Amino acid sequence: MSETETKTFVVTRFDPDRHAEPTTQSYEVPVRSDWKVLDALNYIKDEIDPTLSHRWSCRMAVCGSCGMNVNGQPKLTCKDSLAQYGDSVRVEPLANFPVIRDLVVELEGFLEKFKQVKPWIIRAKEKAVTEGTYSQSPEELEAFRQFSMCINCMLCYAACPVVANEPDFLGPAAIAIGHRYNIDSRDEGAHERNQVFRGEGTVFSCSYANECSEVCPKHVDPAAAINQAKFMAVLDWAQSLVLPRGGEEK
Amino acid sequence: MSLAHPDAMRSTRPEPTRTAPPFRPDYTTPRMRRYLLFDATGFLYLLVGFVVLRAIWALSSGSEAWAALLRDFQNPLYVIFHALCFVSVIFVGVRFFRLFPKAQPPRVGPLKPPPGPVIFALLYTVWIGVTIVFAAILAGVWP
Repeated sequence: MSETETKTFVVTRFDPDRHAEPTTQSYEVPVRSDWKVLDALNYIKDEIDPTLSHRWSCRMAVCGSCGMNVNGQPKLTCKDSLAQYGDSVRVEPLANFPVIRDLVVELEGFLEKFKQVKPWIIRAKEKAVTEGTYSQSPEELEAFRQFSMCINCMLCYAACPVVANEPDFLGPAAIAIGHRYNIDSRDEGAHERNQVFRGEGTVFSCSYANECSEVCPKHVDPAAAINQAKFMAVLDWAQSLVLPRGGEEK
Repeated sequence: MSLAHPDAMRSTRPEPTRTAPPFRPDYTTPRMRRYLLFDATGFLYLLVGFVVLRAIWALSSGSEAWAALLRDFQNPLYVIFHALCFVSVIFVGVRFFRLFPKAQPPRVGPLKPPPGPVIFALLYTVWIGVTIVFAAILAGVWP
């Protein structure tokens, strides 16, 4: 049986119908030594205050729903052990996102940015099913595998100082996933995506703070993706100057 | 509570309910402080630019102006400024060398960049080599 101690949770509260702006509320929670931050939030919701709103689902760092700022750092609360924190734990909604209610943030803005990078395989001409599958070697898979591990938890957006200041910036996860398709050997849409990457507020807005990679719970390394994407966007632009039809058909 | 840009990560469509403005990331963590310090070095390099312009002006104005500039460089304020620049260049260089290898694209046509540790070692080798060459030239030892 794990030991129990009491910790104080200072949680952001915001009800759009009652509050002009977010406030905080403190809760005393008897926590077990093996608990994660999410366990404590669920305890508050179940036993102390059922009006608290927060997102969660899988409890095993796969769905990416339970991202929040814990003591100022973006964390997956289902993965973040309480043992590392002192007597007081501050839980806030993810930074850089509008707050819908309590710890729940608005993700519509992210989904719009995500769609801009065309996160699917683009082919100049689709093969008929009878022609077989698009094969890929293990080496070709390895080139982008790391960037395909993103679970869209938004921690990278909450950590990014550029996202905080430039609303047009596509942001780490969206660029990482766009770059993932650009370097996928089955894809032929890199030119289209690179045009998006070269647009206003995109890859070149990144100042390589590297915070996105520091906080990424899946070690996707979005900062590497963005800076690789910068190089490839410039290369694509240079090719478009010298190749026929701007290098559109490859 | 510090706030980010009010439109950060906001949808272009009207929101169905009123939302609170986005919070700002915590800039007080040691990592963020280091990043802000890195950003602040830009101001030092702006000042270095003015010093370089003054040196070019002195060069074009004859030996007396150049000698005056060299005398000014002995002023303690200039010495402190140049010491700060030296520390800042090392700080920026180390940060850049740490992050540069992973910014290499996985492949450009048939070419693949060398592994990260090799790039890392090459950067330091070139840096140290260039520093030795410049030091030898300035000391009058070489060529």
